[in-house]
Amino acid sequence: MEIPGVRVLCPKLVLRRDEPCLQWLIGSPFFADPVAIFSTFRCLHSRSPGDALALDYPKESEDLQVLLMKGFCVIGALVVQRDGNAEQMAGHAVDAARRMQKLLGVDGFGGKSEKDWTIGAVGDIDSGDVHFFSSSGESPKSLKAVTSVIYDSDPEKYVWEKGCLLRCKLPIKLPFYFPENKKSDAVELYLSTVGAAAEKFKDPEVTFMVETLNKANAEAPQPVIFHAGDLDVDADISNVKLSSQVAEDRDIKSLPCSHFCLESNPGTKSFSAENADIIEVTFLLNGSRKSGETAAPVAVYFPVLEETRLSVLQFKLDVLCYAPKDLPLVSAISKLLIPGVVDQLTAMKNAYVPNLLKDHPRLHPYHFNPLGMLHPITVIYDLSYGETEMSQVEVRRSLHMRLGLPTDRPLLRISNSLYFTVDGVKSKERQRGPSLLKDVHIGIPSSGVSGGVTSLVQGSYEYYHYLQDGFDDSGWGCAYRSLQTIISWFRLQYYTSIDVPSHREIQQSLVEIGDKEPAFIGSREWIGAIELSFVLDKLLGVSCKVINVRSGAELPEKCRELALHFETQGTPIMIGGGVLAYTLLGIDYNEASGDCAFLILDPHYTGSDDHKKIVNGGWCSWKKAVDSKGKSFFLHDKFYNLLLPQRPNMV
Amino acid sequence: MVKAVVGEEAQLKSTEDRLSSSSIPAQVGLVIGKLSSSLDRGFVFSLIPTPPNDEGRPACSLVEPVKDDRRKGAKQSKSQGSSDSSSVVIDKDWVAEHARQVSKMLVGGIRVIGIYVWASESAFKNSTVELCQTIKGVAGAAPPLLGTDTEERLLIHISYSPRRWTCRNYVMASNITSSSLKPCDFKMGKVLSSLQKFRCTYNFNLRLPVNCEKTFDARKLGDVLRSGISVIAKELRSARAIVDGNLVTDDEPCTSEGFHDVELLLPFMNDTCLEASSLENVVGILLFSGSVCSFAFLSSKESILQAIADIKADIITSLQSRLDIILDEADADLSQSDNSCKESSPDIQTENHISQVDLQSLRKPTGLSFPRRVFAPWLAGTFICDYLQPSETLEVLKDHCAELMSMEVLTDSSNVLEPEGEALAVVAKGFWDVAAPLHSDSKSLSEKPGADTKSEGSSQKSNKQSSFNTVAAILVLLLSVLLGFLFFSARS
Repeated sequence: MEIPGVRVLCPKLVLRRDEPCLQWLIGSPFFADPVAIFSTFRCLHSRSPGDALALDYPKESEDLQVLLMKGFCVIGALVVQRDGNAEQMAGHAVDAARRMQKLLGVDGFGGKSEKDWTIGAVGDIDSGDVHFFSSSGESPKSLKAVTSVIYDSDPEKYVWEKGCLLRCKLPIKLPFYFPENKKSDAVELYLSTVGAAAEKFKDPEVTFMVETLNKANAEAPQPVIFHAGDLDVDADISNVKLSSQVAEDRDIKSLPCSHFCLESNPGTKSFSAENADIIEVTFLLNGSRKSGETAAPVAVYFPVLEETRLSVLQFKLDVLCYAPKDLPLVSAISKLLIPGVVDQLTAMKNAYVPNLLKDHPRLHPYHFNPLGMLHPITVIYDLSYGETEMSQVEVRRSLHMRLGLPTDRPLLRISNSLYFTVDGVKSKERQRGPSLLKDVHIGIPSSGVSGGVTSLVQGSYEYYHYLQDGFDDSGWGCAYRSLQTIISWFRLQYYTSIDVPSHREIQQSLVEIGDKEPAFIGSREWIGAIELSFVLDKLLGVSCKVINVRSGAELPEKCRELALHFETQGTPIMIGGGVLAYTLLGIDYNEASGDCAFLILDPHYTGSDDHKKIVNGGWCSWKKAVDSKGKSFFLHDKFYNLLLPQRPNMV
Repeated sequence: MVKAVVGEEAQLKSTEDRLSSSSIPAQVGLVIGKLSSSLDRGFVFSLIPTPPNDEGRPACSLVEPVKDDRRKGAKQSKSQGSSDSSSVVIDKDWVAEHARQVSKMLVGGIRVIGIYVWASESAFKNSTVELCQTIKGVAGAAPPLLGTDTEERLLIHISYSPRRWTCRNYVMASNITSSSLKPCDFKMGKVLSSLQKFRCTYNFNLRLPVNCEKTFDARKLGDVLRSGISVIAKELRSARAIVDGNLVTDDEPCTSEGFHDVELLLPFMNDTCLEASSLENVVGILLFSGSVCSFAFLSSKESILQAIADIKADIITSLQSRLDIILDEADADLSQSDNSCKESSPDIQTENHISQVDLQSLRKPTGLSFPRRVFAPWLAGTFICDYLQPSETLEVLKDHCAELMSMEVLTDSSNVLEPEGEALAVVAKGFWDVAAPLHSDSKSLSEKPGADTKSEGSSQKSNKQSSFNTVAAILVLLLSVLLGFLFFSARS
């Protein structure tokens, strides 16, 4: 029997090289030869710390069940280790993967057949080199080294050219009755209520409406209807014929997912999860199909004699699945989507149990596709106390660990989540109103500092200036605008999902913290660096460092400190003080000569959002402390306060 | 605003012939058809004379003004009462009651849209207020539903000399003024032959919690059922539809012949009756389930969305009509039992009576079956419907057709449709069977009559059932362990 080769799609196999660990290898039942590795999740729950192989399987499977969307599965495991017999370790990895497959295994395509190969891989903790072994279900003990390993150079194309996403958003409400005096029975009644609901997904009266999310396109195909009776729930994946194998028949049962995918011209389409074809599936109850006979209505009133309460349980289910485009839709729905919905309901069900009779947690699933990941993942957050609450921070931190993401950047906040809009474009930013100019400093003339080292703001910001949004703040609003630019930076780096505050909202928050009198709201009073730090603390929880100089002449002395700020923090700096407020975006500094220039974004600009005009007018430009005509940019007889927002170390 | 009205020529001509060959001086009756606000058109299918009232007097008669009466008393009976000063007098309540009864017999897309009157030109002119009041009564008896109906009614006048049809449009207003009646175009043509035909079966299974907050005034089962029907109406309003297997997305008329099958799609597990998420005290639960068979007939120019709206309206009307029948009979039963001695006649407590009992006094599951809907062929392939209680036979349909619709139905013939079976008996024993269904759910809650129908249950019973389920589960578990053992030993 031929050993299938391995095709590595994920850019980084060994996530971290700090300690020995085990990583799950994620593949797909639709990519079995060569075995494609789409991503890898680090195992987090172990029974004894230090032993990478002593896993807490139930906890791990619970996590993976939610995280992994249907269409992907655990196809093996990777042991990252320092020394030891590679083959022996690979054997352990295969055993662990098999155990996990068994725990997860109930999706439609999970019925692992004997022919399937499980990958055991061993990675060197120092070099990061990975060796692959494979073991087939027919002879579980024998391990064979995989000879053909391909590292894909364009994995996105490989994943999204062949596949698409199915999505189902399904908010459900369940009535849950329990007797007041027998609270002990409540959990059991609850479990049976939700269990009965899960059964309903397989009800023959369910009808599925399938449509493309990309309705903006004029050629979008009409929605198609499937009845539960059309789905062959019990058929095996191996029996499902992909449409390419089926002869041209127009039977609805063989309608493939590609029916709803846009025809892409080669080369024009960029492949990524953001641009993937998304098929929206809606569950509906068919009121006109019934297996039994038609009978006139009957009404029965059942009184309850004991004191009984009704609580309405709400589950906001939101499921994504990955399906190859040539898979028939009926199989995609019955084998991927329905099991996905049931699993998500089960996962949410368990979270309710501890607080059954009190306030219910506000659970909400989100889909993320963090940078470096080839496919989206699904996470259920409890938003009862907001996303900045400590336990939620912990949840995110461990997710960062699991996915190998940096632990000092927010990448899995709600504002990072995939956002599905009706016109099919999903973006991570929910823009409102006209979009503002971003990153205006790109493409401006150089500073003129010879041999200088440039340190710039890290990441995008929006340019806020006078008279924007039809609001006349000319003469007093420069510091407000600078603050708005800073907050836009925090927004665009996903540290916050709040909207950029208006002048009034800024004033309001200063009054709320007691810094200003209520009459301040609506006034045209100036604010300074200290007020900005209060507002940043209140609205974002961001702390700031302040540098004071008594005279503008002292500012060049601070260049080294400012350059360090841009290197380590990378946030925009607000310059306030005696006269005007500016935003500082970078420093060009030659340590040897002491020559320096400041990249100034000027909020006093009153023109239209035209990049050319802004650059030509010098509203965003490098300013030397003393220009060629001997004129000082920073006034010598005025003091300056520099506000350095500190990048929060959080996820 | 309906500007033009088309009447079905064959029907109207035969009515005209019937009237002119008779010697009746005046007649009033109902106009059956459809008013389409989107097309600004009215369609008249048929005219149905109002039968004589309970005292045997015609619903409409001609009278001369009192002074005239004395002077030309002899003259009146001679000619067709065509004195210039005569006017029609109508038993308005009776006509309204006729409209109420006939409305119950109409299916989707067909409604009582006004009245006609057979009278002389002058009598008609002299009776404007009387006629407007009659229309108002008729409109009140067949109220608009689900916003599909217009606030207009037709008044058709068939004048005998000269023989002429005129149509006026009555816009409903609180007070009757001279501007209430507006003339509109009337012509005869073919309406019925080109009707689009739709049919639908709607199955529902409502579990409506009844909480104790609203029980200060004695709530009756009838009231709860009424709110149950309004929940179903609300659900239906948002329902999407499939016609002939295709999802309805754009608004085009159906082109093909024959019956179009409509399927209604409702939100999945998102019951509208469960609005509040807070904890509530519950005193009981209403299980209301079954099927409604529905038809709708529309003019070929009307859109498919209108057809769906008409089907939905018909389903709700059908449920409401059935509830009305139950409540009417319960009222009749009550007054009867009041007259007779209560204790001595236990058998008079029919099922319908239950709808009037205060819910708080109920200690046992209490139910009533709705009458089933039957359809008899009417004009040009359309149907009219009627409702039969379990004890009633098709003779009832025959009587109703003869009395209300002045038509003959051959009950022995096979062309009466009986798509709905008798209501099934509910097998759920108690509150918990309905409120917290076990995994083997819902459809087993009703079964054919003849099995265990008497519900005697309480929570004890349901406990027994759950313990039975536990036993069953353990047995299955044991069996599976055994099988697994056998399987493994066989392999090794």
